[in-house]
Amino acid sequence: MSLEAYASAKRDEIHTDVLLQARQACYKARDAFYSCLEKHSDKKPTEIGSVGLLYPTECKPSREDYVKNCRVSWVKHFDRQYCKTKRTQRLLDDKETRRGV
Amino acid sequence: MLKHRLLTPRPPILLGFGGLLAFLHYNDERRAVKIGKDSYTGSDTAVAPIIGGPFTLVNSENQIVNEQDFLGNWVLLYFGYTSSPDIGPDQVRIMAKVIDTLEAKKNLKVLPVFVTIDPQRDTPAQLRAYLKEFDPRIVGLGGPVSAVRQMAQEYRVYFKKVEEEGDDYLVESSHSMYLIDPKMKVVRCFGVEYNAEQLSKEILKELKKHQVNA
Repeated sequence: MSLEAYASAKRDEIHTDVLLQARQACYKARDAFYSCLEKHSDKKPTEIGSVGLLYPTECKPSREDYVKNCRVSWVKHFDRQYCKTKRTQRLLDDKETRRGV
Repeated sequence: MLKHRLLTPRPPILLGFGGLLAFLHYNDERRAVKIGKDSYTGSDTAVAPIIGGPFTLVNSENQIVNEQDFLGNWVLLYFGYTSSPDIGPDQVRIMAKVIDTLEAKKNLKVLPVFVTIDPQRDTPAQLRAYLKEFDPRIVGLGGPVSAVRQMAQEYRVYFKKVEEEGDDYLVESSHSMYLIDPKMKVVRCFGVEYNAEQLSKEILKELKKHQVNA
């Protein structure tokens, strides 16, 4: 496509789900979901999120809110990040009990 | 009898081995830099690959823009995309803060430029809506995929679609910012580890250095 054709083509549709308001709503829902996970970390995770993240049924409503407010690729990105931080935390915390393992 | 003959090294083999050793020794002496002879320019004058080059893109007002339009200005260039979940908005916010700091405190004008590495979804209208929430001074550039890819190649920017599910995908990239001097030469590259304060300080350093050399 030539530049002139690109510049003159009228494409006015905007993806509003990545603008400031939508981003902030997404972050809020995400933080609510993860704090729910922290709160109920002693319960057995039975629900499956994305990219291998498991969560207990107590957090189902906050999960649905989170998925509603964020794009699927964003949900996967944040879930993956969360799992990674959890794993490193576990490695660091278990330093004393798992010596030599 | 046979064993005895095989064990004694024959003169030709010995001579060949000796010759090899002599050659290696000669080669070593030839390549060695004698102590105190060649001056070693320290690591601060490392020769880096020349990155950057001409480009022609479309800005958020649907006007065609090329690198000539930026000559005479210091430019802080960022290759990003509007659908970035976290790093993108953070970097653009840092860029806006740096521009603000430099102008308010030091009266230095640096032009912030955002080039999208997701030209298919980031239309001029999208760029305009996204960037104006951060700072109206940020210039948004996009265009057909071929034009963006050419510029990215010149600036050695890696970008790749990941997590693709139809129209929904993320773009993996290095998220670094490039500081470009008024002659459109890339002076420095800053990674995500710089916050707004550190970035302002480093840019100030480069600007001062440039004034001294000018």
